[in-house]
Amino acid sequence: MSTSLIELKNVTMKFGGVTALGDVSFDVKEKEILGLIGPNGAGKTTVFNVITGVYQITSGEIIFDGKSLAGVKRYKITKRGVARTFQNIRLWGDMTALENVMTAADTHKKSGLVSGLFGFPVSRREEKRDKARAQELLDFIGIGEYSDRLAKNLPYGVQRRLEIARAMGAEPKLLLLDEPAAGFNPAEKVELAATIRKIRDAGYTVLLIEHDMSLVMKVSDRVVVLDFGQKIADDSPRKVQDDPRVIEAYLGVPEDAS
Amino acid sequence: MFNLRDKGAEIWESQGRVGRVAIAVGAIAIVAALPFMGGTFLNTPVADYESVLVYPIAMFVLMAIGLNIVIGKSGLLDLGYVAFFAIGAYTMGLLGTKTELNTWEILPIGIAMAMFSGIILGVPALKLRGDYLAIITLGFGEIVRIVALNLGALGRSEGIQGIPTPPGIFGIEYAFDSHRIYYWTLLILILLAIWMVRRLSARRAGRAWESIRQDEDAAELLGVPTFKYKVWAFVLGASVGGAAGVIYASKTLFIAPDNFTLQISILILACVVFGGMGNIWGVILGAVILGYLPDRIRFLSDARLLVFGLVLVLMMNLRPDGILPRKKREKAIVKKDAS
Repeated sequence: MSTSLIELKNVTMKFGGVTALGDVSFDVKEKEILGLIGPNGAGKTTVFNVITGVYQITSGEIIFDGKSLAGVKRYKITKRGVARTFQNIRLWGDMTALENVMTAADTHKKSGLVSGLFGFPVSRREEKRDKARAQELLDFIGIGEYSDRLAKNLPYGVQRRLEIARAMGAEPKLLLLDEPAAGFNPAEKVELAATIRKIRDAGYTVLLIEHDMSLVMKVSDRVVVLDFGQKIADDSPRKVQDDPRVIEAYLGVPEDAS
Repeated sequence: MFNLRDKGAEIWESQGRVGRVAIAVGAIAIVAALPFMGGTFLNTPVADYESVLVYPIAMFVLMAIGLNIVIGKSGLLDLGYVAFFAIGAYTMGLLGTKTELNTWEILPIGIAMAMFSGIILGVPALKLRGDYLAIITLGFGEIVRIVALNLGALGRSEGIQGIPTPPGIFGIEYAFDSHRIYYWTLLILILLAIWMVRRLSARRAGRAWESIRQDEDAAELLGVPTFKYKVWAFVLGASVGGAAGVIYASKTLFIAPDNFTLQISILILACVVFGGMGNIWGVILGAVILGYLPDRIRFLSDARLLVFGLVLVLMMNLRPDGILPRKKREKAIVKKDAS
């Protein structure tokens, strides 16, 4: 069995009296695609938010790449190798697609403001390298021809893909995708599934939130199911699909069965 | 409507290196020659034309470029920008009268003092956003003025008098009434500031500021050290304001707290918004117009402020994004690709 890239240990997240995540534990293995599913309000996006440092967890521990993420600043979590997309697209609209990716790629630059101002060689070199890499990423995701367009003017589907390319720009080990197929038609979903697998094959580990069951079941190596902030299943897609608790969470229990 | 910004950018982009240098040199030459055009329609009635070129015009342009880094590039509303101008001026005033240092030696000290106060203000204030940040900076601007008004060492309401003019360099003498010399000095500082902003805009810092302005949370989650770059924006904006302050004090020979009121902050902010937030050429144009117009229509006497206000209101209704707005010209980019 391969090692865990990230491990959530008994993570609890409370907002006042509301428990968004209650004692949730699971891990994501290296080079794995883990699907994270659950009904609305189950706490899926909250998982992303605690991993990326948007919220500080109430109790428990998150270990990424062997080290705890407790109290680490958000941008430093990204630098360590976690990058995410957003459920509601949050691109920088007034920047071009290429600039969106380059901005994320700046995370790992050695040169900062001063060397940029005076045009030190290290700054020029990094600028050139990152520009090429950003274009490669756009090509990889299949939106290379849009690189010079402003993000806000791009078609919806391209914006969704650009979100992924931008997150990959930060060179993450763990890529968090928050409903990347939202609003996609079936054909686009099939295409996206192929892209996600391609991303994994390129060496990334993917944690995927998705509502579309057929997509999740198709691409995931393993599926974790959340319901009301509790983990109710953690298994292969096939077994999860047949799990009575999962069916209950999604469809409810028939009256006469209870 | 005729699009001045796109037209200008088109001409610039169609030129090779030689053409661009020629355009830049030509533009600088025209601007540098402005003091000799006092006899033309440009002349300002009542006020001395050449002194209007120095203050307010050139001074406003320099400060607007500085404030634009903070407001236009990074989207941080700073209502106390005059504080950095005052700190530069008082550094010049104090060191110029109490020590043997001359203006050129004090200039870097004044800039450093302004940058340092940018950190002092920025580190606590930039934890806040939007309206809250605006209120804190507003307070800071007032604090600096009130400290100057109450501190004996700074001359209280009498201010500091007898500030020395800069010593001559390269055989050019700075007499207090040779306005054109000061104008050219400011022009050099303005060119330096333009160089700095353009340089940074195209690189990491510019992208970081853009991303912060558009969606700060997304920026931080994608690895932009947002706090650091916000403080940098403050500090660089402050450095330009400080430089303007040093030259101002060395030119007017006398400074008092009354020179550094909230009104200056608001006027510079108006230059930035009027010209086009985030677009350096727009901001410069805005500062030129807002600096020049009140003196040009001085013959209207008391009605001139009314007309000035009317022009502002009309402009902001007709072009809410300013004369030369920031928006990137996507069409031009695509066209270039297709050819």
